[in-house]
Formats: sequence, structure tokens, C-alpha cells
Amino acid sequence: MTEEGRSPPVAAIARRDSRTSRPSLLRERLNWLIYALYVRHDFADSLRVIEEVLKESRGLCEYAIFVKGLNKRLEGRVHESLSLFQAAACLNPQALNNLKQVAKSLYLLGRHRAALDVYEEAQRIEPEDWATWHHKGLCHVHLRQYNEAVVCFENANSIHRHDATFHQLGRVHALRDDFRSAIDVYSEALEFNPDSADLLAVLGIYYLRLGDTAKAFEHLGNALTIDPRKEKAILAAGSIIQDHGDTDVALRKYRVAAQQTPHSAQLWSNVGMCFFHKEKFVAAAACLKRALYLDPFEWIIAHNLGLVHLRTGQYASAFHYLSASINIKPDFPPSYHYLAIALSKLDDFANACHAFDKALEHGPDLATLLNYAITLHRHGATVEAKQKLSAFDAAWGALDSGIRASETGLEEQRSALHGSLYGVEPPSVPHAAPSAAVPPSAGDADPPSPGL
Amino acid sequence: MRARAPLQPQDKKINPFFHALSKYRRHQYDDCLALCGSLLRQNSRDQAAFVLKCRAITAKHWLDDLEVEVEGLADALMEDNVAATAPRPGTSLQRPLSSAQQAGTGPSQAVRPVSATGRPVTGFTRPATSARPTSSQQRDLITTAMAMSARPGTAASGRPVTSAGRLVRLGTASMASLGTDGGGETIQVDGIDFHKYAKRPEIAKALCDYLIYFLRQPRKALDLAAEATREASFADWWWKERLGKCYFQLGLLREAEKQFRSSIGNDSRVVTNLELARVYLKLDQPNAALEVYQKASEKFPGDISVTVSMARLYEDLNDSQKSIGLYKRVVARDPVNAEALACLAAHHFYSDQPEVALRFCRRLLLMGVSSTELWNNLGLACFYAAQYDLAITCLDRALMLADDGVSAEVWYNIGQVGIGVGDLGLSYQSFKLALSIDPNHAESHTNLGVLELRKGNIEQAQLAFSHASRLAPHLYEPAYNSALVAFKLGDFQDAFNKANMALQAYPGHHESKELLKQLKLQFMAF
Repeated sequence: MTEEGRSPPVAAIARRDSRTSRPSLLRERLNWLIYALYVRHDFADSLRVIEEVLKESRGLCEYAIFVKGLNKRLEGRVHESLSLFQAAACLNPQALNNLKQVAKSLYLLGRHRAALDVYEEAQRIEPEDWATWHHKGLCHVHLRQYNEAVVCFENANSIHRHDATFHQLGRVHALRDDFRSAIDVYSEALEFNPDSADLLAVLGIYYLRLGDTAKAFEHLGNALTIDPRKEKAILAAGSIIQDHGDTDVALRKYRVAAQQTPHSAQLWSNVGMCFFHKEKFVAAAACLKRALYLDPFEWIIAHNLGLVHLRTGQYASAFHYLSASINIKPDFPPSYHYLAIALSKLDDFANACHAFDKALEHGPDLATLLNYAITLHRHGATVEAKQKLSAFDAAWGALDSGIRASETGLEEQRSALHGSLYGVEPPSVPHAAPSAAVPPSAGDADPPSPGL
Repeated sequence: MRARAPLQPQDKKINPFFHALSKYRRHQYDDCLALCGSLLRQNSRDQAAFVLKCRAITAKHWLDDLEVEVEGLADALMEDNVAATAPRPGTSLQRPLSSAQQAGTGPSQAVRPVSATGRPVTGFTRPATSARPTSSQQRDLITTAMAMSARPGTAASGRPVTSAGRLVRLGTASMASLGTDGGGETIQVDGIDFHKYAKRPEIAKALCDYLIYFLRQPRKALDLAAEATREASFADWWWKERLGKCYFQLGLLREAEKQFRSSIGNDSRVVTNLELARVYLKLDQPNAALEVYQKASEKFPGDISVTVSMARLYEDLNDSQKSIGLYKRVVARDPVNAEALACLAAHHFYSDQPEVALRFCRRLLLMGVSSTELWNNLGLACFYAAQYDLAITCLDRALMLADDGVSAEVWYNIGQVGIGVGDLGLSYQSFKLALSIDPNHAESHTNLGVLELRKGNIEQAQLAFSHASRLAPHLYEPAYNSALVAFKLGDFQDAFNKANMALQAYPGHHESKELLKQLKLQFMAF
């Protein structure tokens, strides 16, 4: 990892600082050993030497205290490291590194305001330090002061460019739902470091968020070339492949991810939808049920299960899953649409109409309108059916012919309905309509959320 | 239960001893005891009546001691029989193979929850499955368990019970019960000359069983059996088996092992084999016990009790694949074995086959088992098999039958169903109810925390998670959840500690590992 490579120079600086600011060479004579042991990750030995040095110098060797603090922090004892860094800072208040580490420890403990104060102080000593600006930015992010954070990160980048800063800057933009800026930041970062699978994967996911699947796929593909086991990228890339109908390739990708995260609900949901595409409904239901067992709060899984049951004609089960999905996420119109279809199949005409109305509240949707018209017609409400059909025709006419040609299912159902509403054909023709008009791709793509 | 004979022997001329014998055969032990008592009052040297009385009392208080292995808390605390203090994984019950070590043999912890001993929850509660603490960390908890589970009678003294002490108490309890409803004085054993009786094996055997099963005085029984086995010139398997049993009850395990082995040498019996294996289990040598079971099952291929014991042991060793295979064999031989059916049901439930689990549960129900647990499992299986109407009815019935001990669990499951149908209000209420019944129900605390988190009450969620992980360190969910929340809030120290706790409970948890990796990066210097 890049951060790991970064630790030696800091420690080296610390050594230089302490040596120049403190003349007593005797006390410092083992610093080289401590440093060498520490950067070799030989923590036990370095701690042993530190203890000896501290005993000899009666706790006055600044560098030993400093490295001990680093050691403790790596062990996960941030409180102890904080007091050690503070002690080092008492011994040498002018050393930038001591202050920075005090601030860092405060930041790790979640005391962001206090950390900010210390960073301000550090900047008085050395205003042109990349790490200080970076961490100030982090503190601002945690305090939800995004504007200040962006300024800090940009300052940090102007001094020295780092992946970490780019990541954080991009994350702030994403937190503010400004994916455009986030993408700009990540593109810039890629120019600086084109081989980072992390950067590529996150960039791909943000493109996916913006709906630019071609670009997203390009970046995700690159990420997977560099690191073929990156599960976030696998999931996102798999969902794009799946949307293009290439389920076998997607399944192969998911197999890699499943080895690492066998209990990822999103993964199982996507696998389930792959089987759904391949019309293996039992397998699809089994995968989706496992996904739902693993994460019962994920509404899209319940939605997908509803789709599967709708397709297999188990309308009561479909109703249950769809209503569960709506209970958790009430503002997803397709759920109401499919719920309406399930209800109409269960002969609950009044509630089906309610559900259709609810689905249309969020704006007209072609499939919803057509299915509404079909349902109305089936239950004998011809006048309303004609009304809905004309609404559908208006929306249909507004589409350009390319899209119209690709939606053959809708066109077929439309002409069938026209025939039975206005023509002489008996109304039994659109009998199979609702389930055929279900576009199965609606609920499957489930891009994983970027970042932890 | 046998039907009462249609003709009551009212005739006064019937031989009273024959009458008593017939009562004994019909399992009417109280009547038999009364008749024997009157016989002995007439003639206190009537040996036949004496033997019959011994047998009747023993039969009345018979306890299948192979099935009731309750390890007292004191045994767990002062465990010094264990052969190895740091056993290799897989060779000890204290360190069973974790599911991570043998991936693919059974559902992992993320799917099948674990019990407080760190094992996957079983489908059938047996006393022995919960007895042994598996790690030193959990052993510390015994002290708290003592405070919680001490029964009113012993709470004042606060002295933990040993299994031997429990047997003694059973003995006094049974004597008290005999005093009130038995209708006859007990047999005075203090003055009996064992040497004299040892020469009469038929009387001595009755007396020995009486000592072991009724008076619960294994030391006295040991004296008698030692005399008798010498009289039988060390060739009678029965005496050696009883000797072994006495030694076992006295905690002299190595002597017990010797006796059982030599008894098997004389004449191999199922019971002796089972008891020998039990000695090895007590010594924490599951592989030796398995060997005994293996040999016994080769010799008695049709015997269910050996197979069931072996299946149990495999389950305790976390080898669910083998244990399920054995349970299937049990069901093939004995289609109404409740334990095997329940374990199979649990296994299928947790391996994504709720419909099959439902079938096993239904068979249990048809057998006449009607308990909260069964209705609860039935309800859950119905729910996951998408039979919602039945699920609600089953859970309702479970609640109706539930007492305070388990109704928290039922409410917890209702909460799960609530989450499943998206009715978060219902699940919130259910978890609250579960907690009102059992404030120490860690799973409910965890899920309540998750619900609070969804509502945005981060403080309360954190509180619930930390409470849950304090109550149940064997659950990884609350620890991980709380680590995640702490991480998002920016308290990396707390997140680090909690993530480590989660990994301790579930060493293979991918998400915790990822979180720790991120934290380690943060802790690096720069």
C-alpha cells in the first residue's frame, strides 16, 4: 500500500530534526537503531531498545518517545500514543512532527476540533506541509464542513499530490452528491497515478452513478486488469455486463468475488438476477432468498424476489415481497407498478388501481401506463382504459423511433390492446400482457456503494 | 404404558408376592411397594420380597444417567481431568475445528448463529452441549453465569454445584418423595454386611442398583461391587460395569476407564461402550471416544444410541457434515427419533432449505411433540418457505405455550419476521417486548441497535450494540456494527477495539478484516 511506503521518510525527518535541535548526542546515540528496527517492522525489538534508552536517559530521549508513540498506535492503542506524542512535544515544542502526530492521534480518537487546533499550530511552524493540510481536510470532513475541507485538500494537492488526498477530495464531492466534480478529481488523480486499481474502481462506480455505463465499464475493466480480485469492481462491472444481457460472463466474474465475500447480499442478489435472465427461476429465487436472509434491509432484493415470483406466476408471494420492499423504500415507482400487477392478478382490482396511481405519482412511465390500461380493460373499465391508453400513446409518440423499435414488447401489447379496445377482437387477447410487459432489467443492477 | 388389566385381582386368596410381582411388571411401582412392605412386615427375612422391593424402588427412581450429563459449575471451574492443557485443534472439545478451518463442511457463522459456547446452534438442546466453555475468555464468564443461574435454594450460600453434589441431592429428594407417597420404609443399608450379600449375586445386583440409582451412594455401591466381582472371580461384565459407573460418579475417571475396558473384554455391551466413551469425553479426548463409538457401531450396527452419541460428538466438534450423515442414519432406523429429526430440521433450515426443515418439523409435530421451541421453529421455517399465513399462526401458538424462559426468543423471532415483511414498527415493538421479558437477550439488543441506526439515533444504537456485545461476546454482529458506527463517527480507537472483538468471535469475518486493514492504514505514521 502506498501509505505503508510513506512511513520511513517521516521517521527519518524526525531523526534529523531531533538531532539538529538537541545537542546532547549521547542521549541520541541509539536513534539509528530504533529507526532501523522500526522501519523494518521489528516492533518488539525496537520497543525493547526504546525502553533501554528511556531508562538510561530518564525518559528524556525525544526520539525514543516519538517512535514508541508510533509503535503504540500501530498496536491500536491510540490513547497511549497520544500521551507519548504529547510528552515528545513537551520536550521539543518546535518539532513539526511531534505536533503533527499529536494532532493525528487526536483525530484518530474522534476529537476533531482539538486536532484542528493543533494542526493550526503546526502550520505556524511550517505552513507548506502537505500532510497537515490533508489532515485538516479530514477533520473538516468529519465536522461536516465540506467547503473548508475542499480548500484544505486542494491546498494539500498544490504542495504535493497524493492518492489519499485525491480519494478524500473525491469522497467529499460524492458526499455532496456532486459526482461530476468527483469524477474530475479522480480523472486528475489517474493522470498522476494511472495504475491504481482503487482509483479506477471508484471512478468507474461514479460513472455508473451518473449513468455513463460505457465509461464506467472502461474504468472498471482497467481496474480489474490491474487487480482481478477487487470485489467492488467485480460487482459493479458484473452488473454492467448483466445489463447488457451477457449473464454467463457476469456469473464468471461473480464466482471470483464469491470466494472472497461469500456472505455479500449484493453479490447474491446479482447472481440471482443472472439466473433470472437465464430463466432459471428456482435458482434465482434460492439466490435471492439467501441474499435477503443475509441482508433483510436491502429493499432491492425484496423487489427482485417480487419480480421473480411475478414471473413464475406466484402472485401472492410476489405481493408479499413487493410490499416488503415498499415498506422499506416507499419512493421507488416500479415497486408500485409490479405490486399493482400482482394485485390485479389476485383480483383485487381497487387496490391494483391505487397502486398504479401511486406508481404514476412520480411521473408517467410507459410500461406502467400500458399495464394500467390493460388491467382496467380486463376488469371492464373500458372508459378509463381508453383514457390511459391515450396517455400512453401520447408518451409513446413523443419517443424517438429508435427507442420505440427496441421496445418490441410494448409495441405488441399496445397494438393488441388497441385491437381489443377499439376493434372487434375479443378482449381475451391481452390476457398474458402484464407479465410479458415486465422489463426484467429494472431491478437488477445494484451498484455497490463506494467507500466504506 | 400398559393398559390396566380388565380383571382386578380382588380375590383375597391370591398370593401377595405374585400380586406384587404382577404390579411390578405393570409398572405400578407404588402398589408393588405397598404389597412388599406388608410382606416384609410379616416376615422381615423374606428375601424375595426384599429383592422385589429393591427393584421396584430402583425402577421408580430410574434415571438414564447416560442422557443426563449435567456438568456442574464447580466441575467446570475446577476442571483438572483434561489430559492436555493446550490441545491441537480438532483433538479437544475445548478447541473444536472452527468453521473457518474447514470451509465447506457446514454453514458458516454468518448464516448459522452460534451458541454461547462458540458452536453453531444445535437443533436439540442437550445438557452436555452447553456444559463446556470453549475458551478461557468464556471461562471467565462462568462467574457471572453462577450469579445468574444459581437456584434459589443455593443462592444464599453461593456455592457452585458439582455433578456429584447434584447426584447426592437427587438421592435425598427421592428419599423424601418415597416418604410421602411410597407407603413403606426404606431399606436400611447401613447395617448390611456386603460380604454376605456379595455371595448371592441376584440379591446383590438388586441392592447395588438400589444404592446407585436410589440412595445415590456410589461409595457404598463400590464396596459391594468390589466384593461381588471378586466373588465372581472377575469374570462378570455386569459387576465391572457397575464398578466403572461408581468410579465415574466418584470422579475417578482412570479407574472407571479400566473397569469399563475390562468389562468390554468380558462381554461387550452397548451400555458399557457408551459409558466408556463418556469417560473419554470427560477427559476431553473426543478422538478416543470416537474410536470407542466406531468399534461399538461395528459390533452393534443397528443400535441407535451409539449412532446418536456419535452424531452428537461430531456436532460438538463442529463437523456438521458427518453429524448430519449420522442423524440421517438414525432417522432411517428410527423414524420417530426426536433428537435426530430436530437436528436435521435445524441443519436444513440453515442451509437454505426451509421447505425441507418444515417437513421435519411437521413430522415432530405429528409425533405429538408440542413445545414452544417446535412451534417457533415451525413458524420460522414457514416464514422462510414463504407460507406467511401459517408462520403467524405457528408463532402465535409458540407464544401461547411459552413461559418466561423462552418467550423472549419467540418475540425476537417475531421481530425477525417483522423485518422480513418490512414492518419495522412491528419488529421494533417485538424486540422491545423480548427485552422486557429477558433484559439480557443480546440478539434483541443488537437488532434494536440496527433499527435505531436506521432511524438515525446513533447514540442509542451504539449503546445497544455495546450492551449486546458485553452480554454475549460470542456474537460478532454487535461488535462489528459498533465498530462500523465508531469508524463512521471518526473514533478510530473504538472502531479498532470493536473490530478486533468481532474477529475474535468470528475469525473469518471478511468485513471486519477489511475494516481493520483500513484502520491499520490510518494508524500508520504520516
